[in-house]
Formats: sequence, structure tokens, C-alpha cells
Amino acid sequence: MDVNQPKQEHLLALKVMRLTKPTLFTNIPVTCEERDLPGNLFNQLMKDDPSTVKGAETLMLGEMLTLPQNFGNIFLGETFSSYISVHNDSNQVVKDILVKADLQTSSQRLNLSASSAAVAELKPDCCIDDVIHHEVKEIGTHILVCAVSYTTQTGEKMYFRKFFKFQVLKPLDVKTKFYNAETDEVFLEAQIQNITTSPMFMEKVSLEPSMMYNVAELNTVDTAGKSESTFGARTYLQPMDTRQYLYCLKPKQEFAEKAGVIKGVTVIGKLDIVWKTNLGERGRLQTSQLQRMAPGYGDVRLSLETIPDTVNLEEPFDITCKITNCSSERTMDLVLEMCNTNSIHWCGVSGRQLGKLHPSSSLHLALTLLSSVQGLQSVSGLRLTDTFLKRTYEYDDIAQVCVVSSEVKQS
Amino acid sequence: MEFEQFGNLDQPDLYYEYYPHVYPGRKGSMVPFSMRILHAELPQYLGNPQESLDRLHSMKIICSKILENLEQGLAEDGSMTNITQENRQASVQLWRSRLGRVMYSMANCLLMMKDYVLAVHTYHTVIKYYPQQEPQLLSGIGRIFLQIGDIKTAEKYFQDVEKVTHKLDGLQSQIMVLMNRAFLHLGQNNFAEAHRFFTEILRIDSSNAVANNNAAVCLLYLGKLKDSLRQLEGMVQQDPKHYLHESVLFNLTTMYELESSRSMQKKQALLEAVAIKEGDSFNTQCLKLG
Repeated sequence: MDVNQPKQEHLLALKVMRLTKPTLFTNIPVTCEERDLPGNLFNQLMKDDPSTVKGAETLMLGEMLTLPQNFGNIFLGETFSSYISVHNDSNQVVKDILVKADLQTSSQRLNLSASSAAVAELKPDCCIDDVIHHEVKEIGTHILVCAVSYTTQTGEKMYFRKFFKFQVLKPLDVKTKFYNAETDEVFLEAQIQNITTSPMFMEKVSLEPSMMYNVAELNTVDTAGKSESTFGARTYLQPMDTRQYLYCLKPKQEFAEKAGVIKGVTVIGKLDIVWKTNLGERGRLQTSQLQRMAPGYGDVRLSLETIPDTVNLEEPFDITCKITNCSSERTMDLVLEMCNTNSIHWCGVSGRQLGKLHPSSSLHLALTLLSSVQGLQSVSGLRLTDTFLKRTYEYDDIAQVCVVSSEVKQS
Repeated sequence: MEFEQFGNLDQPDLYYEYYPHVYPGRKGSMVPFSMRILHAELPQYLGNPQESLDRLHSMKIICSKILENLEQGLAEDGSMTNITQENRQASVQLWRSRLGRVMYSMANCLLMMKDYVLAVHTYHTVIKYYPQQEPQLLSGIGRIFLQIGDIKTAEKYFQDVEKVTHKLDGLQSQIMVLMNRAFLHLGQNNFAEAHRFFTEILRIDSSNAVANNNAAVCLLYLGKLKDSLRQLEGMVQQDPKHYLHESVLFNLTTMYELESSRSMQKKQALLEAVAIKEGDSFNTQCLKLG
């Protein structure tokens, strides 16, 4: 990590040490039974060892803190803490010491020192200490530049700099997938992988929606009033482990009307991830705004507003559809036809006119149908014809419904 | 390597029956139980923890079987026998404690393998065999969660410790509670509060090595290198027999390196002190002289 300037005799020495959290010392327990030859020897040795847990010397994980032994890895989103010490190695008093610490990245230079005032004098064998903290927001090469300027007893002004280079790595690999539901809801699956070398506790993974959406997170299960995470007892991610988080986004009321008309790329929101590692070392990342390509609906969109999950065999049930005119200029005159399939039978009048539908507006339609086949059935067979253009739009497989025999209790 | 001679500790020449002229009438294995534990634990320190786990599992099965036999009125090896109620009780107690020892080793091994979920589960089982160690074990589990980063669960465990020690008296439980509070503050990045709690322990027990060491470590994080060094050096000089310990020396040498360019001399002074007090097995790597 050290990149020093050519040797020059200076009265002051600058030392830097990265302060990651300390680790706990582990013992190696050696025991024996009373009747064994060593008798109580091992037990006594373990009791005398200052690093064992008193009363439970066989427990490996002690309580003694050990300082970090090397620089370790540093990841985006973590806080870089470092001890900076300027020590007077000489035997003369040094005056007007100014210590400056800057962090140089590929894009900017940040000043990290807590105090910018010069210290009047430093006696021999004394030191000036500072602990700096910085939340790392960029990946790649970072250089900690420490500059020390001072005046010797003879009045000579001296100056030296030290450079410490380190790499900031990526801690998480985030993949997102969008699923469009039959209604206007969008489901977001976020896959998060721990690509560091130590276990990570995911404290919070939340989706901050853009102004168009309301979000419901689907990562906890509420049973008997207590909410439990879907990940159960495994609250942490080992290196290279992946986890999936699920969110449901519903467009807000004022945007729901326009939902069918949204074309192209829309901004959904961003993920906010907070994690902790050894002894509470914190890291935080936000993804950039996640975008989704709105599915193309063509000129006329048929979506479902309500449909039951489960219905009885051969019993009529109601659904409501929403028909949206997605074009921007044409008023449409639509005719609805219902075609039966093997399993789906529509009830009502087919071939009726729906009235004029203005651009970017929609109408709601209630329909009744029944199914003659058990199992998971696909609702199909709706046809909308634009009378002006003489174009027919077909709508098949718009939703699924589970059909059960009427002997099965229905609520 | 020295264990190789003994194979898997079940060779015929390790049984009493093999030497009927020396041990007439005695049956069973000559290998002491503790030696079996050592044999099982060894591979994990040599980089093969799965082997340790396998060996410990077979020991667990045997101990469980023996206990089952005893509880059904048979002898340990399953044969019919007439032993007195007292002897049976003594035997059951012995094998129960041995089973507990095996579980302890398993939990330690799982911890070494970083399988935290299983390790915590196994430590909970150990509590059943060593109920008197419940507060220490619960604190240990709390520390495991601190290591993972799950501060909230650690806090829950430390609260459980306080509930359990509430009924106990004595310095030891008080110190345990204070130690846990200090660790919790460490997990919440509050070095000043942690230092306060470690110092509180020293007020009750001034020779507590762990509190002394940990208080000094906190001082470093608070930007007080000189004070930290003073505390550690004082500790070592006061009671070198006790405090010339690997972890304390690690910390001392790390701070010497931070302090000045003349750290080598100070480290050599430490080496001399160690040479006087410790034996050959002392791990001099902690002095970082190389």
C-alpha cells in the first residue's frame, strides 16, 4: 500500500493505519478428564490463560479484541476509517505542524482532515493523531495523500508527502427482472449476490418507487401478528451466495388511467441496500433508477380489473375488463365478440357495440363466463373489432383461473 | 503426524483384550476418551474441518448408543449385566458429560467452518449438557451474531444473558453483563461507550486481562495511540507471566509499528521478555519480527 517519495531525512514520521473493526481472538481448547494422567493440568492451564472465557474455557470464541493485521479489502458503500499519526522522531522541538489528508479518486479530490489548524509545537517523542472517516462512493483506485509541513528549530520550513494507494471493489452483484401481471401491477425480482470474501448481514433491502408507483415488499410473512423474513434463520449471505427479493408495484391512482397508454421506457424506482459485516461495519448502496420497457399494447389494450382466483365447475362467474384506446388521435368504435373455446363459455350477447372510445381513455366492461373443464384454465376468446379500420384484435390467454369441482368448499 | 501410529484409534492392539496377561479380565479400548477428542479435533487445525466433523459425529453416535444401552439396563457395550444402581448412575453421568464434550467440539468446529447457523444450533444443544455455562454460552452466541453483523439478534442474546444472570450473584455475572454491553456498543460503532464499559469492569476487577486489552484497543479507535500503548505496556510490565499473551502482543506490536519508525527495537525488547517467561511453544509470529 505504501508508495513513498525518495528518501529524505525528516524530523517527523508519518504513519497510517486502516482501522477496520477489531476481530475476536479464538482459543484452541485442550481438555482431559479427571481420571486421565494429566489430571487437572490442562483445565488449570486453560483457566490461567487470560484469553479464555472464564467458566466456559472450552468455548473457542473468546472476548479478546485483536487489532486489524492488514489493510484488508474495501468495498463500495463502506466507510474508510484510518488512523493518521505524525510522530516527532527527532530530539528537537518542531513548530507549526500542519497535517493534511486528501483522498484522490479518478474523478475528484476530497479533503478528509478533521482540523485544518496548524499545531504550534511538537515535543520530541510526541505525536499528533487524527482518525479520518470517509464513506466510499466510487469504485477503483483511490489514493490517500498525506501532506505534512513543519518548521524546524532553526527556522527551516520543511514539507513532505506520502501516498497510499488502494482499490475499492464492488461488494454486490445486483440483477433485476420485471414481470408484468395481467393487471397493471409490475413485479420486480431483485437478485443480490455477495461478491466479497466475508459473510454479510443484509440489514435492509428496500425499493424506493418513482412517483408513479406505490410499492409493497413481499419479503416478510405475517403469521399470528409476527412478521418473519422469508429467509428464515439464514439472515446473512455467505460469500458468493445469492438472494432474491420480490416487490410488487402498483401504479398510483392518478397514473393508473394512463397506465395503458404508457409507452417506451419508464422509471420504476431504485433499490436501497444496507448491510453489515464484522462487528457492525456498515455499508450502503443505492442502485441507479431502474427502468422498464413498457410492454407494447398496440392500439387497443384489454386488461383485467377483477377476476376470481378459483371458481366452481360449470358455475358462471364475473370478471371486469378495462378496454383502453392507446392511440393518441383516433376515436374508436369498437364491437365486442366473444368466442367460446373448449373450456371457456361466455354468457351474454356477442357482437354488440361498445360505443365511442376517445383517444387515451378507457371503459370498463363486466362479463360473465363459465368453465366446463376442471383445472387451471386460460380465459380466451375475446375479439374487438375497430369498425372504422375494419381491423380485429384478438385477445386470448388474458388470464388464468382455477376451476374446481363444486364438491370442494368455496368461500 | 504423531497420531498416525494409532490409525483411527480402533486397531486391535489398542484394546485391553489384546493383552490378557497384562490386564486379565479387562475389556474395552485403552484409548482415553480425551485422546479421542484430540484425535477428532486435530484435522480442523490442519485445514480439514470436514474430517473433524466426521470423526466427532462417529463419537457422538457411539456415546449416544452407550447411553441408550445404560438406560435400558444393559452394560455400556450392550451385553447383559448386573451393575448396581450407583454404578449405573455414575456411568450415565460420565457418558452424558462425554457426549456434551463431543457436542462442544462439534460446535467449535462448525464455528471454524463459518457455518454459523449450525454452530449456533449446536451451541444451544451444548447448553443442555452444561447448564451452568448457560450465560457464557449465550454471550458467546451473541458474539457470533456480532461477527456476522446481525447486531439486533446479538442484542437479544445479550438481553437473555441478563435475564439468566439476574438470579445469580457474584462478580462473574456482573462482569459478563458489562462485557456484553461493551461489545454491543462496539457493534453500534460507539467506541467511547465501549471504552466506558470496559473501564467499568476494571473498577470491579483490576486484573481483568480482557477488559484491560479491550479498553486499550478502544482508545486507539478514539485516536489516543499514546494512551493505548501506556495501558497495554503497563499491563505487560505489571504481570508479565499472565499478560505476555499472543493476542496482547499482537496488539502491542501493531501499535508500535504505527507509533514510530523505531518499532523494531521495542519489538526486540518484547522478544527478550517473552524468552524469559515462556516456553518453546510460544508463537513468536505475533511479534512480527520477520
